[in-house]
Amino acid sequence: MSHTVLICDDAIFMRTMVGDILQQAGFEIVGEAETGVQAVEKYKQLRPDLVTMDIVMPDMGGIDAVREICKFDPGARVLMCSAMGQQALVVEAIQAGAKDFVVKPFQPSRVLEAVQRVLG
Amino acid sequence: MDSAQYAELFLTESREHVSAINHSLLELERVGGARGTEAVGAIFRAVHTIKGMSATMGYTPVATLSHEMETLLDAMRRGVREADPQLMELLFQSADLLEQSIEGAVQGVGAPAEMASIVTQLRDESTAGKKTPRASMAIPISAGGEWSAAMPMGAGLLVRVRLAEGTPLKGVRAFLVVQAARKLGDVTTSSPSIELLQADEFDLDFAFRLQTDRSHGEITRALRNAGDVADVRLGDDADVEIPHQTMEFNVAELAHGAVTTQMRAVAAPVPQQRSVRIDLRRLDTLMNLIGELVITRGRLAAIAGASEDVALVETVAQASRLIADLQDEIMTSRMVPVWQVFDRFPRLVRDASRSVHKQVDFTIEGKDVELDRSMLEEVGDPIVHLLRNAIDHGLETPEERTQRGKPPAGRLVLSATRDRSAVAIRVSDDGRGIDRDRVLRRAREHGLVESGKSDLSDDELVRLIARAGFSTAERVTDLSGRGVGVDAVYTRVRALGGSVDIRTVTNEGTTVTLRLPLTLAIVRSLLARIGDETYAVAMTHVSETVELRPALLGSVQGREVLKLRGEVLPLIRLRTQVGYGGAAARGLEQAIIVDIAERRAGLVVDGLIGQQEIVVKQFDGVRDAPALFGGATILGDGTPALIIDVSSLL
Repeated sequence: MSHTVLICDDAIFMRTMVGDILQQAGFEIVGEAETGVQAVEKYKQLRPDLVTMDIVMPDMGGIDAVREICKFDPGARVLMCSAMGQQALVVEAIQAGAKDFVVKPFQPSRVLEAVQRVLG
Repeated sequence: MDSAQYAELFLTESREHVSAINHSLLELERVGGARGTEAVGAIFRAVHTIKGMSATMGYTPVATLSHEMETLLDAMRRGVREADPQLMELLFQSADLLEQSIEGAVQGVGAPAEMASIVTQLRDESTAGKKTPRASMAIPISAGGEWSAAMPMGAGLLVRVRLAEGTPLKGVRAFLVVQAARKLGDVTTSSPSIELLQADEFDLDFAFRLQTDRSHGEITRALRNAGDVADVRLGDDADVEIPHQTMEFNVAELAHGAVTTQMRAVAAPVPQQRSVRIDLRRLDTLMNLIGELVITRGRLAAIAGASEDVALVETVAQASRLIADLQDEIMTSRMVPVWQVFDRFPRLVRDASRSVHKQVDFTIEGKDVELDRSMLEEVGDPIVHLLRNAIDHGLETPEERTQRGKPPAGRLVLSATRDRSAVAIRVSDDGRGIDRDRVLRRAREHGLVESGKSDLSDDELVRLIARAGFSTAERVTDLSGRGVGVDAVYTRVRALGGSVDIRTVTNEGTTVTLRLPLTLAIVRSLLARIGDETYAVAMTHVSETVELRPALLGSVQGREVLKLRGEVLPLIRLRTQVGYGGAAARGLEQAIIVDIAERRAGLVVDGLIGQQEIVVKQFDGVRDAPALFGGATILGDGTPALIIDVSSLL
């Protein structure tokens, strides 16, 4: 059975791109969220194997969303999606419970490597 | 999904963000820097998203520009730079450039010419206000192979890690490696310090001490699993010469703490629009297909009506209802709120009013009113025209206004309202109004009115200034009222099946109303007959029909009129208008009472055929098509019919 993924990003463009990369690698996209609040709600509802999480989102940012998700499920596997220059935020996200990160612009191979590490 | 679709998605989404940037810039300018934290945050977020998307698409100029904007905005958020007028101007310019470079990137055009200069200015601005320049770390960059990190002293196993060349955010990666090590035991000390590691202040390698009872193999595996690790060495390795010293920098003031809290402020709730994205071409195709289907339905209904087959008639009736529902649904799916176009106007009004040194208090009403997407796109330019006119000619300078006892800032209102099956878009100012005398004088000079005429009604005024060439050729710009391009607006709106109405009061202002059908393609129409020809009149303009009994006829100043319940309406004989020879048919003629805004008239035809949905085909490329016709259509029985443009008659 393929792994299920929840994609959280406020840009449809980014959601589509990440979704395409993962889908082609055999993952099943079970949900998308465009705000932190939605991400937490959908996590609780869908219990996906993997969450990709943007950092800057309206209505609760990605870091707080990670914190909430990990509070709910300490075993949650969250992959942060970051832009260059967000070191401090990614570190904070990891402290909040995120397992790994990828940096935009996304290269499919890098995304998949990170996903394997998170799931592995 | 192929790259063209990504580009399209990028374009749509980036446009929304650019619009949000402009919106927030105006807000920032209005409330001032001190209270503009929210606006700066919103701009930052939009720019940040564009940066991420453009980098992914490989649109380097867009990515570079948005990166520089982001840096400056970040400085503003941290209070290092203040939003002074000069800075605002630069941001406005950058927003324009960002828009241009986004459009250009998608079309494969290179970066706009002023890119380099704006990027330099942005850079200068972001560093200009910095109170403490970032401490530059004198960490030597090692030539490949050599380990550059100092060996930390202390208890535990020495662990040295080298990250892969080109590791993104290596500071975070190093942090992840250290985190992985912490799962195996205690990390006592590191070189460089954890703070510096996180701040990316190191070359590719770093070292730390780990107190653990795990095997070397286990440790190596765990650390490599943290990702992007090129090499892991355990134990004090005599082969590698590393000076035994611990570099203990304490530059934790690199403010990532501060950045973090600010970033949270940015993530404040922003209202979200719920939307579904469908390829526009698909919607257009659907609309065309439903148009053809509507025509076919008409024909089918005619055939069924002529047959005696009850089952056929019933089935056709049911199919007709379904088609009507389908048509409604498709039309609804094409509707978009007017703010999608209106949102760029505040920026435009700001720029235009500044360039003529006028103060304008601009408001938009009815942002959520919906209109067919293509209609909305078409009507954007005419509105721009009207806004510009109002600012250039309608509104007075602050001094002039004060003299006339008005507040120094002129009021300009753009509103959208829905009535019946039309949307009314109004541009209204409280300026000086159109100078009737001067328009009249011009008109007299050109023999457009009788020389004895001393007064112009609103309707006559509209007709005059809407005349093609009247304004532009005679530089009505010199007139105190509006003038430039009103004829262009008039022509455009009429081509869309709409109408223009102008009300003006001297010294109180001018209101221009554009009345537009909800959709371009399908119009419910009344079909009428002249001899053996069929004509269509959009139902939007029809208020009623009457039999033209002789008792209703009259004459005023030698012109034929219709007396209807005490009201006197001018009569227009369509037979004469279309140049159909011969006398009217025997029997009673019919009058279609048409109205546009408050103007009404009776349109005389030989007979009425009935109401029908028609698909409007514009006269594309037909030269000298008479202004009387707004297009043509094919009827259910396959015969063509011309569509009467009512606004040209009134």
